[in-house]
Amino acid sequence: MDYVPITSKDQKEMLAKIGINSIDDLVDDVKPRCGELNLPSPMSEMELVQHVTALSEKNKIPRYFVGGGSYNHYSPAVIGHMVLRGEFLTAYTPYQPEVSQGTLQSIYEFQSYICLLTGMDVSNASLYDGASALAEAVLLSSSHLRRNRVFVSKGLNPKYLQVLKTYCEGAEIEISDKIDEETACVIAQYPDFFGNIEDLQTLADEAKKAGALFVTCITELTSLAILKPPANFGSDIVVGEGQSLGIPMSYGGPYLGFIAVKQDLLKKLPGRIAGLTTDDRGNEGFVLTFRAREQDIRRERATSNITTNQALLALSATIYLAAMGRDGLIDVAKASYKQAHILHEKLKEVGFEPLNDKPFYNEFVVKTPKPPEEILSSLLKKNILGGINLGENKLLVCCTENNSAQDIEDYVSAVNG
Amino acid sequence: MDKMKLIFDYDDNITGHVPSESIDLDLPKHLMRSDLPLPNVNEVDVVRHYTDLSRKNFGIDIGIYPLGSCTMKYNPKVNENLARLKGFSQLHPMVPASFSQGTLELIWKLQQHLKEITGMDEITLQPAAGSQCELLGLMMAKKYFKDKNEERKKVIIPDYSHGTNPATSSMCKFQTVTVQSDTRGNIPLNKFREVLDSDVAVVMITNPNTLGLFEENLSEISDLARSNGTLLYCDGANMNALLGIGKPEEQGFDMVHLNLHKTFSTPHGGGGPGGGALCVRSFLADYLPVPRIVKESDEKFSMDYDKKKSVGKVHSFYGNFGMLLRAYSYIMSWGSNISRVSKNALLNANYLQSLLSDVFEQPYNRKCAHEFVLSSKNLGAKSAMNIAKRIMDYGLHPPTIYFPLIVEEALMIEPTETESKESLDNFASVLKKISAELVKDPDFIKKSPHTTKLGRLDEVKAAREPNLRWLPKFKV
Amino acid sequence: MSEIQFTKEHEWILMKDNIGLVGITDFAQKQLGDIVSVELPSVGNEFKQNDAMAIIDSVKASSDIYCPIDGKVVAVNEELLQSPELINKSPFDSGWIVKLEPSDTSQLENLMAEEEYKKFVGED
Repeated sequence: MDYVPITSKDQKEMLAKIGINSIDDLVDDVKPRCGELNLPSPMSEMELVQHVTALSEKNKIPRYFVGGGSYNHYSPAVIGHMVLRGEFLTAYTPYQPEVSQGTLQSIYEFQSYICLLTGMDVSNASLYDGASALAEAVLLSSSHLRRNRVFVSKGLNPKYLQVLKTYCEGAEIEISDKIDEETACVIAQYPDFFGNIEDLQTLADEAKKAGALFVTCITELTSLAILKPPANFGSDIVVGEGQSLGIPMSYGGPYLGFIAVKQDLLKKLPGRIAGLTTDDRGNEGFVLTFRAREQDIRRERATSNITTNQALLALSATIYLAAMGRDGLIDVAKASYKQAHILHEKLKEVGFEPLNDKPFYNEFVVKTPKPPEEILSSLLKKNILGGINLGENKLLVCCTENNSAQDIEDYVSAVNG
Repeated sequence: MDKMKLIFDYDDNITGHVPSESIDLDLPKHLMRSDLPLPNVNEVDVVRHYTDLSRKNFGIDIGIYPLGSCTMKYNPKVNENLARLKGFSQLHPMVPASFSQGTLELIWKLQQHLKEITGMDEITLQPAAGSQCELLGLMMAKKYFKDKNEERKKVIIPDYSHGTNPATSSMCKFQTVTVQSDTRGNIPLNKFREVLDSDVAVVMITNPNTLGLFEENLSEISDLARSNGTLLYCDGANMNALLGIGKPEEQGFDMVHLNLHKTFSTPHGGGGPGGGALCVRSFLADYLPVPRIVKESDEKFSMDYDKKKSVGKVHSFYGNFGMLLRAYSYIMSWGSNISRVSKNALLNANYLQSLLSDVFEQPYNRKCAHEFVLSSKNLGAKSAMNIAKRIMDYGLHPPTIYFPLIVEEALMIEPTETESKESLDNFASVLKKISAELVKDPDFIKKSPHTTKLGRLDEVKAAREPNLRWLPKFKV
Repeated sequence: MSEIQFTKEHEWILMKDNIGLVGITDFAQKQLGDIVSVELPSVGNEFKQNDAMAIIDSVKASSDIYCPIDGKVVAVNEELLQSPELINKSPFDSGWIVKLEPSDTSQLENLMAEEEYKKFVGED
C-alpha cells in the first residue's frame, strides 16, 4: 500500500536527467534538517483497518433525542454512492470549467435549492458551517453599511454566538443589545435554539427602521419544508447549516454552511458562485463567476478570506433533496414535528413542564421533575441520549423521523421511574 | 445546441403549491409556507442524472492534476471506508465523553503526530480550512499583543503570497505591508529590515514559497523577527515538500498551519470540505480555541473548556472530524516512513522541471522544491491561457495559470509524489507538443479546447447577465 | 471652460462650475478588459489625493480607482451598478464614476494635460 509509483530504476533515470547523484541533493536548501520523526511504524492497509476500526468501537452510538445544531436524519443510500465517484470525490475547485461541468452544475443546483427553500434571490456555493456562515453575514453587513455594531436576539445557538464573538473581536465589530443607527445587522435564529417558531416580521421591521440588514439563521434546514420562508418576512440575508440534509453527524464536521441574499447584495457575497453561460459553440455551460470578489484577486481588499467551499457536502445535500423530492422532504418535516409533539405530550404526563411559549418544530424545552443529570443518566443506561442539559433544570429535547414509536415509549418509561 | 438538463427539469409538475391542509399539523397558518417548488424525481433518474454529471468532471482518479500549491495527490480509498465506520459517522457531537472515547483518542493522536511533524508544542484541529487557520492565527496574535499592551497594526507579507494572507490580514483590521521578493525568489534582508518596525505584529511566510523555492534567508528573517518581538507565521500549504525533512519550529516559526486536504491526502471533493491544523509554540497555546482535546490518563480523553485566554471558537463544534480521520489514517499508513512522501514529491517536481526547461522560461534559476513555476511568455501574450485550454484536448488537466502574480504568463506545476514516471514523461511531451503547435498554428490553439464537450465559456456574459439559480416557471 | 486632466493611475478629471467629474481613461478600460462590477463610494465621503475611492472588477481582476485631488464626493454614477460596461463603452462620457467637490484646486497643477498623458501611455 505504497502510493509512490516511482521504482528504483525510474529514480536512477530521473536523477540522471536532473543531473544530481541522489535525492538528498534536493534538500540542500533546507536548513536545519530535522532528525528522524518519532512516528509509529508504517501500517499495511489491513493493519490500518484493524487499528482504526478498533478505535471506532470505543465509541458508543446511543438512540438520539438530541439536536442543538446537529440532527439525526436518515440519509438515503443513493447519496453515499454518488459522492464516492472519483470524478466528484477527487476533483478540485472548478477553475477550468470545460472539465468541471459536473461540479459546477451540482453547485448551481445547490444554489437553486437554497433559494427555493429560503425564498431568497441568490445563494453562494456554500461556506464551512452554519456558525461561520453567520459570521460572514455579519462581515458582509458591516462592510456594506459601513457600520460596526450587530444585534443578536436571545434565541441564537450558544455555540454560534461564541463563534460570532470570536470573529467580531478580530474584525472590531461590537455585539450590542440595542438596535440603532450604528447597527449593521439584526440576527435571529429560526426556529430558535429552544425550538420556538416566531413570527419575525416585527423584528425585521425594527431592523429596517434603523436602516440595518435583517439576518435569519437556520440550524435545522428541514424545517423549511413546512415553515414560512425567511424571505417572506423581510430577511435581507439568510444563513445557516445544511447538515440536516443527509449529511452524517460525524462528531460535528464536516458540515455545510450556506448564505443566501436579496438580489442587491449579490456582489457582496463571499465565497464561490456558479453561474450559467454559453460557450463559443453556443452550448450552455456553467462557470464560477464574479471571481474578482474572491481573496485570490482582491487580496487585501477582499471582505472575506474564504477559499474552500464544502463542495462535496453541497453535492450530498443536493442529491438528498433530489432523492427525497418535495413530497419526501415534507414527510421528513411532518414526521420530525409529529414525533417531537408526541414525546412532548407524553413527557407532560409524567411531570415534565413545557417551557415553549411559542409553537415549536422538532425541538422543545422542558423543566425536568428531577435534576437533568439524573434524567439523562437513567436514559443513558438504556442507551438513549435524552437531550441537552441547559442548566436550571431545563432540558432541550429533539426528535426526527428517525425516532420510532418504540424509541419514544422507551424514553418515557426510562424517565418515569 | 446542447441545453443543460437540470434536476428541476425532471418534474413537469412542479406546481409548488402545497395546500396547508395537506400538512395537517397544529401550526398557525401564518407560520407555514404555502408553496414548495421542489421537484419530485424518482431514484433511477437521480442516479442517472448525477452519474451523467460526474462524467463531465476530471479528477485525480482520471489523470494527473498538476495544480501548483494544491497538492493533488492520490486519495487512498481505504480512508473512505474508514470514514464511513458507523462508530465515527453516526456519533452526535454532543454525546458525553464516555461515548466518544474512540473519536477523542483519534483526534488526540493526530494532534501528537502533527506536533511531531511540525516540531510545535501545541495544536488545534478546529479550523475547517487553511484560510480559517490563518484567520485564527492572526486573531490569536492580535490578542497576544493586546495582553502585552502592545498595539501592533501591521502584517508583513511577501509579494508571492497566496491571496488568503492579505485577505486575512484585512479581516483582522491589520494593515498589509508587502515586501518584494528578489531574483532568487527570496525575501531580501535589506528590504525586510526596512519594513520591520515596532508596529509589525506578524510576518506571514509560505515555505517553500509559491514559486516552489525554499526561503534561503529564513534563519536571518526569524532572528530579526524575534528580536523585534514580531511573530513569524508559516503558511504551510506547501508542507508536502518538508515531511520528515524540515520542521517549521526548527526554522524559527511561531505558528504554522497545515492543509489536511493538501499534504495529508483528504479528497478535495470539487472544492471542499477541507481541514485545517494550526500548530503553535507554547507561549501562544493559551489563545487556542476551545475545547482543547486532552488526555487525562492512559485510557481517558476529554475536552477542556477552561482556557480563559482562548480567542473563542471558529467552528460550531470541534472541526471537520471526517477529514481528521482520513488524515490520521494517511499518517498511520506512512508512519515513520513519511519522509518518502516529500522526497518523492521533490524528485518528481525536479524531474518534470528538467524535462520542460528547454521549452519554457524558467524565471528562477534554482532547484525547485515540490512544485515549480515556468513562464510561457516566450510564446506570447495569453499563451498560458491558451496552453491550459489546449491541454484538455489531450485528456489531461492544466496546471495553475497566472499565479503567482509576480511571474508573467505563469504556469505553476506540482505533480506530487503519486505520479509515475510515465505520467510525468507524458505530461511533459504534451506540453512540448502544444508549445510547438502554438508557434505553428496559433489561431487553432487560441480557440481550444476542441475535443471537450464544451468550448471556452463566456465568463463576461456570466457576470454581465447573471443566471445563478433555477427559477420556477410559474409565479411563486 | 477647463481642460481634462489625467493622473498616473489613469484617472481623468474635468472641472466644471467647481465640481470635478472623474472617470478612468480609454487606456485603463482596455487594460482592465470587460468590466463586470463597480463598487462606488457614498455621497459625502471625503478622500485625499491618491486615496482608493472605488473598485472596478473585471472578469479576472480587481482594481482600485484613486482619487485625483482632495475632495468630497457629491454624486456617484448609479447607472454603473446595473451597467458597469458603460465604462468600457464610454469611459469619458456616460462611464463617469464620481463627481467631486475639491478642497484644494491647486492640486490640479500636479496632474497631466492631455498631450502629456498621451506621451505617458505611449500613444504618440
